[in-house]
Order: sequence, then structure tokens, then C-alpha cells
Amino acid sequence: MGNGTKWAQGVALAVAAVAIAGCGSSGGGGGSTGSAAKPVHLSFWGWAPGYQDSVKAFNASHPNIKVSFQQVTPGSKGGYQKMLTAVKAGNGPCLAQVGYETLPTFVAQGAVTDISSYANGSAGEFTPAAWNGVRVAGKTYGVPVDIGPMAMFYNKQLFSKYHIAVPKTWAQYRAAGLALKKANPAVKLTSGMTDYDFAGFDWQAGAPWYGTSGNTWKVSYNSPAGQKVANYWQSLVSDGLISKAPTYDPTWLSGLANGQIATVVGAVWQAGTLKASKPISGKFAVAPMPQWSAGANVVGNSGGSSTAVLKGCANTQAAWQFAHWMSTDRKSWPNLVTKGGLFPADKSLQSLPVLNAGDPFFGGQKIFQVFKAAAPNVRQGWVWGPGMQAATTSLNDGLNKAWVGKETVPAAISSAQKAIVRELKQQGLSVKS
Amino acid sequence: MPFLVLFLGMYLAPICVAVYKSLFVMHSQGLGLSGGPSTVFKPLANYTRALGDSAFIGAILRVLLFGVVQVPVMLGLATLFALVIDAVSARVRAAFRFAAFLPYVVPGVVAAMIWSLLYSPNPNASSPFFSNGLTLWSVANVVTWTWTGYNMLIIYSALTAIPSEIIEAARVDGASGWRIAWHVKLPMVRSSLILTTVFSIIGTAQLYNEPSILQAVSGGAISSTYTPVMAANNAIHVPDFQYAAALSVILALVVGALSLGFFKLVNRRGPAWG
Repeated sequence: MGNGTKWAQGVALAVAAVAIAGCGSSGGGGGSTGSAAKPVHLSFWGWAPGYQDSVKAFNASHPNIKVSFQQVTPGSKGGYQKMLTAVKAGNGPCLAQVGYETLPTFVAQGAVTDISSYANGSAGEFTPAAWNGVRVAGKTYGVPVDIGPMAMFYNKQLFSKYHIAVPKTWAQYRAAGLALKKANPAVKLTSGMTDYDFAGFDWQAGAPWYGTSGNTWKVSYNSPAGQKVANYWQSLVSDGLISKAPTYDPTWLSGLANGQIATVVGAVWQAGTLKASKPISGKFAVAPMPQWSAGANVVGNSGGSSTAVLKGCANTQAAWQFAHWMSTDRKSWPNLVTKGGLFPADKSLQSLPVLNAGDPFFGGQKIFQVFKAAAPNVRQGWVWGPGMQAATTSLNDGLNKAWVGKETVPAAISSAQKAIVRELKQQGLSVKS
Repeated sequence: MPFLVLFLGMYLAPICVAVYKSLFVMHSQGLGLSGGPSTVFKPLANYTRALGDSAFIGAILRVLLFGVVQVPVMLGLATLFALVIDAVSARVRAAFRFAAFLPYVVPGVVAAMIWSLLYSPNPNASSPFFSNGLTLWSVANVVTWTWTGYNMLIIYSALTAIPSEIIEAARVDGASGWRIAWHVKLPMVRSSLILTTVFSIIGTAQLYNEPSILQAVSGGAISSTYTPVMAANNAIHVPDFQYAAALSVILALVVGALSLGFFKLVNRRGPAWG
């Protein structure tokens, strides 16, 4: 009995100690502007490879500000949930990596800080699509880091082996898929895309998922242009051109490596995804994104993120200073290109020599040139809505069925539209479909 | 006293917080882009919403069906294995015990990943294991594979505690091996069988690891609200903590009612069997 009591007391003390220590160290949101001897402390949560090195370089050149970087799981895999929970609990970081698609969700949760007064002067430094991405309802909440202009990665060995021309339009893309299938039934044109990758197709086609009119959200997954995209992809499923391998699954990478999946139409950072698989090396090349009409030059964007200043940050000016530096520093950015496969949102950085280098993985092709040419052609007018996590969950539940033929793509989009409108109304928002 | 503090702080407090949170709803207005949602006290709103949420109710019915089939199959196998290793020689017993327990040593998430590769080895073909009607049983197979050995060990250790005189006496009376197993051994391990059943009911209600890992290769057959815990996790992603709390409270009530109901059932039947 006596022993048990002692043991319990020991545990209670240890728990209390851990709790106190935990509270003490996790209050990173704050930071005081003290004397020169005491630098301002900022905490920063993110996941992209290379961020850590940017933080190191910043700390080395800025003695008055000390940024501490914490690696978290990628946003949609739980990182955003962690950030929102931390902000809610009052101990969130000062800065966080937040994708453009999720920034309005953070705004809707009241989890970010308006930095318009510092940031708006720098609007002209970034591509319009990127700047648009950090602006929500007329206020600026973050600094754009990278963007995701899209192109087509294709297995050049397969295309030349079967004498198929590299498609320039979506009609040619489908024809190429049929030709590949005829030449070798084991070859699928591509795999099914979900959430923000699929958004890139709608983005290109001028089918924004959201819009606002006055004080009301307009939800339009099911717009005429959106239906055109959905019907097109359904035709590829019906033709048997879509692999059953889920995109990003290990079986997808092996399908790309062994010639069973011929193309990936995706953002610049897909280059990094492909590089995760050595056997793909030397087989793929990059061409511009297929177009809806011959000779057009319109591309979609998929992904890319900003450095947002979260609610509760005591020193927004220092936070802005770091975020702006990280997005625009010419010396540290090449590291983000090589380590993270990121493509700068800062227009002047797009002339970095590293973006003109040939890539041995792609047979020496200067792949970034394709994306550099695409970046200014990213279509204007895309708007992200609130509650993207819930929205993409509804969308993916349907699309995952559609890609294996258990449902159609248009039906998946329609039911997602309904579910998303219902969810937003549930939250009390004013919504029109 | 320190125990009481720990118990209240670590055990009861989170439950109370969840119940308290579930009484509020988040509310936004217009575009909802000015300053974040407010929380409004509406004690029944989340609960009525949950009871009308077809995805959540569907998830509960799904795990009920899962439990009704999978728990008896798994415990039947576990009991059978336990009786077998109780009856065989010591050397075979050690080897068999180790083999049956091995799957439990593999972490649940890793086991699910191994099975997802087994279920869907060919990237360009649909896996037949996730075709209509078969999905739930593909999940059940993984759970059974993982937990049968664990339950077997609990039942087996109860078997070893049966005094050998009782078995001897039965044998002297001329009872066959099967009769001894059915009329002597099983009634004597009754409390272990009840324990493993209750644990299995609770485990079934908390089904999460296996379906969420298999989701990636299921071709949409496993939705993001496939089980009640997945549905609650989904609400956290929204993020709607209040609704997630309400879903969790409902799930806890359902599991509590099922476990109590099972206890009542076996207690009523008890004397006739034991």
C-alpha cells in the first residue's frame, strides 16, 4: 500500500513536471522585442524539404531574429489539423507553411493574422496567381513561396517505341492513349487524380470550384466547364485508359517505372515525386500541358504554398520579414529548387541559373524551362473556398470509385457538389450552388 | 489520493470535456471570413445532426454487422486453437503458440500495409477483394489474422489454470476428449471467453487502422466515413471538434450499451451453462 502511494506520487510529480515543461517550451507563438542581446524568437511549422536550410541561412544572417523550424507531417496528412488545434489551444507557431488551397480554410477558422500593411507593397514581386492565393476577401495573410504550374510528364521511350506523337491537345492525348492501348494492352495512358491534382484540370478549363457574389459563396464544382472536364475524364475511364493504381501509391510508381503507366499530367513538383523512384530515371520527359483547343496556351496550377502568419503571433513584423526573405532570397532559393523541387512564386527568382540546368533524371532535359514558360499562362480567376479538407474528402470518396469504374466521374462531381454545399450551409455560411 | 487525482485528471476529465464540447455548435455567417466561427450553446443540435447523418449511422450499422460475424468467427477459432494446443505435446504446443501469436506482434498499421499489398498486387487491375459485398470481409480477415492468436493466449492461460484432478475425474468417468472439452473445459474458462468477447466488441467499435490503410487500394470501396471512428476523425479534419465530440459520445454510448447488454445476457444464461 505504502509503496503504491509513493509510486503514484512519483508519477504525479513526473506528469506535472512534463506538463509544466511542455507548456513552457510550446508557447512559441510569442516572442518579445527586447534589447539587441535578446533576439526575437519565432517558431515556424512546415514540411517541405529544404525549408530547414532556409531557416538556418536566415538565422545566420539575421542576429536580431531567431527562427526555429519544426518539421510537421504534410498539411493534408494531418499537419493542418495540428496547426489549427495548436492555434485553438493558444500555443500555435508564429509562422506556418499553408497551401493556397487551405488558406481560406484557415481564414474561416480565424487562425491567421492579416499582414496587409506589411505585405501589400510587395504584391508586384509575385506571379498574379500566387499573389491571388494569399489574398482572401481583400486581405493578405501570407507570403507566396512556390507555385505549381502544370505540364505533362510522359514516358518518351514508350511514345517513340510505338511511334506515337507527343499530344498537344486533350483530344490528341486521348488518341495517344488509344494508340498505346492498341500497341500494347498492358499500357495505360495515366492514373486517376484526386483533390488538388484534379483541381488543376478544372483550373485550366476555367471551371473554378468557388466564387463569391457579395456576401455569398458560389459553389460550382458542377459548372458547365467542370462538366466538360468530368465528361472528358469519364471517356478515358470508359476507354480503359486509366490505370487502377492509386496515384502516389507504391504500385503507381512501379507502374510508371515498368512502362504500365505512360503519362502524368501534373505540377512542377511531380518531378520530385517521380525522382523518388530510381527505375524511372531516364525514361520520362516533360512537354507542355495538353490544351483544350489547338494552339492555345492555358495551363492549370496544382499546389504551391505560402508562409502564413498565424493568430497569436506577437511579432507580426518580424514574422513578415522572415517570410518575405524566405520567398525572395536569391542565395538560399536554389536549395529549395534542388532539395524540394519547388518553383518560385517570386518572378525575379524565375531567372535563377539552377532553373536552366539540365536534369540527368529526365535524360538531361532542362525541364524547368517548360514550367517557366507555363507559369505566366496559369489561368486567372481561380478561387478557393472554406472547408477544403471536408470538400476534398467528399470529392475523393467519389473520384476513387470513378477511377475504377464503380461510379462515373460526372456523378462523383455532382454528389461532391451536393455534399459540399450541405456542409457549408451546416456551418451557417451563405451558399448558392 | 494521488491515484484519485490522476484518475480524475487523465481519465474522467477528457470524457467530461468531450461531453461538454458536444453541447455547442460552430456558427459562421455570410462568407465566414471575418474572425472565425462563434460557438453557440445548442445542446441537442450535434446529436440530432448525427442521428440524421446517414454516413455515420451507416458506419455504425457496418461495424455492428462486422462484429456479429467477425467476433464469433475469431473467438471460435481462438477457442479451438487454445483447446488444441492444450491437448498436444509440449514441443508442438510451444511452436504453435508462437506461430499463432506472431501476427499480434506485427504493429496493426504494418499488418494492414502488408495485407494491402497482398490484396492488390497488380497496379492495373481492380482487386477482387474490394468488389461489391466483399470489402467488409477483407477488412475482417486482417483483424482476425491479427487478433486470433492474442485471444487464443488468454483462453489458453485460463485452460492451464484448470486443476488437473477435474480433468482426471472426467476421464475416469469415461468422458471422451470432445466431451471433456465441451462440458468441462469450456465452462471453466467461461470468464475468459466473456472477457475476450467484451474486448472484441470494444475493438470492433473502434475499428480504424485496418480500413484507413486499406482505403488507398480499395478503389473507393472504403470511404472516409467507413467506420464510426473514421467519421469522427473526418469531423476533426473539417475542423468541427464539437461534432466530432458528439459522434464520439454516441459511439461510446453504443459500445457501453452493447457491452452491458452482453454481460446481462451471459449472466442470465450463466447458471444453466456453468
